Amino acid sequence: MSSVEDILAAENELTHLLGAQQAVVLSTRIRLARNLEGMPFPGWAKVPQRKEIADRCVEALDALPKFRRGHVLRMGELGDRDRAVLVERHLVSKELAAGKSGAAVISRDQTCSVMVNEEDHLRIQVVKAGWHLRGTWHIAEQLDDALGGTLKLAFSDRLGYLTACPTNVGTGLRASAMVHLPGLCLAGHMDKVSRALNQDGLAVRGWLGEGTEAAGNVFQISNQQTLGLSEEAILKHLGGWIKNVVEQEWNARRKLAQEEGEKFVDRLARSLGVLRSARLLTSSEAMNMLSHLRLACDMGCLPEERRHLVDRLMIEGQPAHVQARAGQELDSDGRDRRRAAVVREALKDFPEVVPPTA
Amino acid sequence: MSQPIKCSLCEEAATVHLSQVVHGNVTKVHLCEACAQKGGATDPAVFQLADALTTASPAPTLTCPKCGFSDIDFRKRGRLGCPDCWETFGDALGGLLLKVQHEASHVGRAPAGTLPAGQLRRRLNDARVEMEKAITSEDYEAAARLRDEIASLEQQLAHS
Repeated sequence: MSSVEDILAAENELTHLLGAQQAVVLSTRIRLARNLEGMPFPGWAKVPQRKEIADRCVEALDALPKFRRGHVLRMGELGDRDRAVLVERHLVSKELAAGKSGAAVISRDQTCSVMVNEEDHLRIQVVKAGWHLRGTWHIAEQLDDALGGTLKLAFSDRLGYLTACPTNVGTGLRASAMVHLPGLCLAGHMDKVSRALNQDGLAVRGWLGEGTEAAGNVFQISNQQTLGLSEEAILKHLGGWIKNVVEQEWNARRKLAQEEGEKFVDRLARSLGVLRSARLLTSSEAMNMLSHLRLACDMGCLPEERRHLVDRLMIEGQPAHVQARAGQELDSDGRDRRRAAVVREALKDFPEVVPPTA
Repeated sequence: MSQPIKCSLCEEAATVHLSQVVHGNVTKVHLCEACAQKGGATDPAVFQLADALTTASPAPTLTCPKCGFSDIDFRKRGRLGCPDCWETFGDALGGLLLKVQHEASHVGRAPAGTLPAGQLRRRLNDARVEMEKAITSEDYEAAARLRDEIASLEQQLAHS
């Protein structure tokens, strides 16, 4: 079994753990950019230097208790589909997957993944299902300390952690929340919310990060500034805004449910109907209708304990996941057919949508 | 025929033209399709970055002695060559940093065991007080540990 198959088969909290999922916030993510002292950044390093960087970083990571029985994946040794699966799971970035000299070290439970030779030598990532800013931060902080104990990291008193891009220097910290905002989208308020966040130094992006569309009403909200603010201040700023956005989302949902009445329930019920009987489902169609099911779970229109199944289908309905599950390359129609079959099977014993209680 | 406008980040012909107005100041960025897609033309940080790059001088005036990276390379890539480049280009990047980050210096964490000077001094003062207390309460094990820490802090401060 390849390591990527192993990752797909393993039950992790984003796809399987009952009770880890929350309304509105899908997941919390912390990313730290770090570099080795005295080595050129990956984009400027020669091939042998990149190999040395990868070897040194992987060796240091592999020795940490956090990565015991985890996965060490070298991008040059993986096929296209395996790399695409890792991108869809947010375990590695598109940029890392596109190069040959990158590697990823992933913890057994898939909450921690460190990208080696991306834009920086090390990109430490920690992801938790739901909204857990402090808990996620503490895991990242411990990993950072452990790595700093074995590797000499590039750091300056004045500028902090030195990174390849000026947009990351200082703390190297990018804290983000993946939020599901169907209420604000349906009410037409998303542009306004986005602008307010941008003006206060936060970036709003689509489901797969930079430059992607917000399929399924899922957005990633993160800090922009990394210099001149302490980690504590960055987390507090993001935390305050996420709380605010979650509140606004709930207000929009309640208002919609109240004003639309039966139409609101009808919309959710129709999505369940289509997902339960469609023979061909495109990726974006599935995402948008699954978004309705997630909303239904949050609002009491469907049982809350089904929410994790909706989250799992959002992840496993992506193109590379569908093909990996099928064990073969599929053309676009083949993927849509296969996706529809997986969704039908998963939803076959779902109860009917009822009027909201939340 | 007029000369085609070049991409602000590479040498390709620009096909994406962006204007941003902030408090009456107009910033224009020209990108080729590849850079626009890659860089996320909607990202305000990219906007500011490209702006600073287009106003930089065209001839290489600075080169990192450690890795050979020049300011022209920075104009093309928007990324530095190695950690030591920050020393070489630090002053030249000051304006850009203020634009992108709104601040010029770091106030956050440091690698374990290498606290910045300010934090070193604070920790040194605390450790001295703690050692006095440990001696008064006859906790010689803790006092010895603190004595070692103080020696190490003093040494780090002398080198910073």
